[in-house]
Amino acid sequence: MTDAIVLDEVTKRFGGIAAVDKLSLSVPSGSIYGFIGPNGSGKTTTLRMIMHILLPDEGTIEVLGSRDTGAARDQVSYLPEERGLYKKMTVRRLLRYYGRLKGRSLAEVDAAIAEWMPRMDLPGVLDRQIETLSKGMAQKVQFIAAVISKPSLLILDEPFSGLDPVNAQVLKDAVLEMRSRGATVVFSTHDMGTAEKMCDRIFMIFRGRKVLDGSLNQIQEEYGADTVRVRTAGGAGVLSGIPEVDSVNDFGQLQEVRLKGDPQAFLKRLSARSDVYRFEVTRPSLQDIFVRIARPQEQEEADRRQETGAA
Amino acid sequence: MTKILIVAQSEFATLVRSKAFIVTLILMPVIMGASVFIMRMTRDATDTNQRRFVYVDRSGLVGRVLEAVAEVRNQTAATDGLARFEPVAVSPVGRSNDDLRLELSDRVRRKEIFAFVEIPPEIVDPDSSSEIRYYSDHPTYQALPDWVQVTVNQAVLSERFRAAAVDPALVARLTKPAALGSVGLFERDDSGAVRAGEEVDEFRAVGVPAAMMVLMFIVITASAPQLLNSVIEEKMNRISEVLVGSVAPFELMMGKLLGGVAVSMLLAAIYLAGSLGMAYYYGYARAVTPVMAAWFLLFLVMAVLIFGSMFIAIGAACNDLKDSQNMMTPVMLFMMVPVFTWGAVLRAPEGTVALVLSLLPTAAPFLMLLRIALQPGPPLWQVLLSVTLMVLTSVAAVWAAGRIFRTGLLMQGKSASISEMIRWVRQG
Repeated sequence: MTDAIVLDEVTKRFGGIAAVDKLSLSVPSGSIYGFIGPNGSGKTTTLRMIMHILLPDEGTIEVLGSRDTGAARDQVSYLPEERGLYKKMTVRRLLRYYGRLKGRSLAEVDAAIAEWMPRMDLPGVLDRQIETLSKGMAQKVQFIAAVISKPSLLILDEPFSGLDPVNAQVLKDAVLEMRSRGATVVFSTHDMGTAEKMCDRIFMIFRGRKVLDGSLNQIQEEYGADTVRVRTAGGAGVLSGIPEVDSVNDFGQLQEVRLKGDPQAFLKRLSARSDVYRFEVTRPSLQDIFVRIARPQEQEEADRRQETGAA
Repeated sequence: MTKILIVAQSEFATLVRSKAFIVTLILMPVIMGASVFIMRMTRDATDTNQRRFVYVDRSGLVGRVLEAVAEVRNQTAATDGLARFEPVAVSPVGRSNDDLRLELSDRVRRKEIFAFVEIPPEIVDPDSSSEIRYYSDHPTYQALPDWVQVTVNQAVLSERFRAAAVDPALVARLTKPAALGSVGLFERDDSGAVRAGEEVDEFRAVGVPAAMMVLMFIVITASAPQLLNSVIEEKMNRISEVLVGSVAPFELMMGKLLGGVAVSMLLAAIYLAGSLGMAYYYGYARAVTPVMAAWFLLFLVMAVLIFGSMFIAIGAACNDLKDSQNMMTPVMLFMMVPVFTWGAVLRAPEGTVALVLSLLPTAAPFLMLLRIALQPGPPLWQVLLSVTLMVLTSVAAVWAAGRIFRTGLLMQGKSASISEMIRWVRQG
């Protein structure tokens, strides 16, 4: 399988600070690739460099087999995090404009509009102005604007944020449809559940550097089977003071416990303290892995704030 | 190139649908017409108030004439839309000059009289250099002092003729001035016959060139600043990111500029057609020649490229409308230079000031156009030099704006300063 995107040692600095630092990455053609990372970690900068909106200071980027800036432009579509639409334009004019800018003829664009509008559950809005649409509708129009040119590579920045479950499902189906048509899909998200369920591969960037890259399986294996999900009569309170417990992620009805000792020894101590309804030795969730990587930074920042405040 | 045209087409469609365009299209001629109307009205403004004034005639010779002329004038003053002038004699006897002046000044202050006039005793003496003195607290009101001066002088002259035993009627006949008619040059027409020059018409000589310049100003101010709004909207709504993912920044900017040029052409075509229709209707069909219209369109394209580039660059460098308004001020000042200086160019189209200003690339679209429209027009080399300078400036402006646009378009947060914009241009 060839790669749709290849980044080699890519660095991008803003005012001397590296937003992306020596990043190497390969996105296989036809895959769904999830970008995760805390806010300000370099996700959008990376996506923009792939789009040739920004140029890297160092390193090379190859998109659809070409290193030439803009050569692959007509084959790549981008959906920015929010907005990206002309408020005063009608949906039809906007879709035609975006489609034609990708080098498609008016007839091709109109055919694609006729196909996608009902699929995205947007009947009768073609001649409405964008500003009269709800947020969900506007986001779906934005998605159609991105796929109307039948791109080989689709880059979506936070495509599902702020959508209700029905619209989110419509959009997820549309993403899967694009993949089934042979497109490569790269999207960034803060929703770990979506990333786990939809992505063939997941990439995490943190402070401009790659910290995770692989299939969910590979990533979870890397982080071992040190996680136990428990449901007890006593709730999170009974876990305190058990020596095998490293940390607890409390979901209320269920606790995800990271262990630093033997799970069986932990089970013994736990059942001595409370009735145990559920005990499942599992691999850490993506959410857990994300938090493990990103939390130290938050801790550092909290410490720094405290120091500044004390001074 | 295709993408530039697609952007231009979309920009054109958006601009002509904008409220600003429609308002300009309809309101601008209305406002212009109204201001011309108001100017005419105020120029001929009627002042029908009563102007009562005191005169102190120390010569004892002109007071009666003043009263007699005023009386005749007042009979038709109301129907002529003129003020009534009512001279009242005051004798200087029994008071010192300064006491009298103070007393009359106080009466003016108390609004009992409008003004007072002192006529010196030796006013009739041709060798005397004494003057009529007019005292008033309305220094800008000229109708009364002008009338006093003319009337007193008429009385003085006829008094001098009488003293010299010359018949004033004969003098009037002998000193009747000859009129001057301003006529254009003779020319030979196509059939070889000599054709007399037409009488010079002020409207055609000055009105048409001035109207063309004003039209240029309207069209540019209606189209170029819109490009700034368009860029700011795309930037604030993150549309730029989507567009730059489809089209190179320079193509995007050129598309916008071409859209702006097309809009200005449409406006110019509508206004020119309207003006030509009116000119034809009022018998001035030959006042605007095709050559003139061609110059107009050429200068218009240059001006939209130069000013449009500036506005696009500002739009790309700013992150909200308020910042962009501040940045626009210097550009608007550049645009205003011709407004402040066109009078000087009109008075002396061949002068150094006119030459320098009409070569300045930001002023040339207005002032060189004005000079071309004014007969006999500037030498060809000056026109060509001015066009060359404008072409070079528009290329430089587009190039620099392209660099600012590319960098500024994706900048979020703080608006760029002028020095940052200069750095973007230098570093690319």
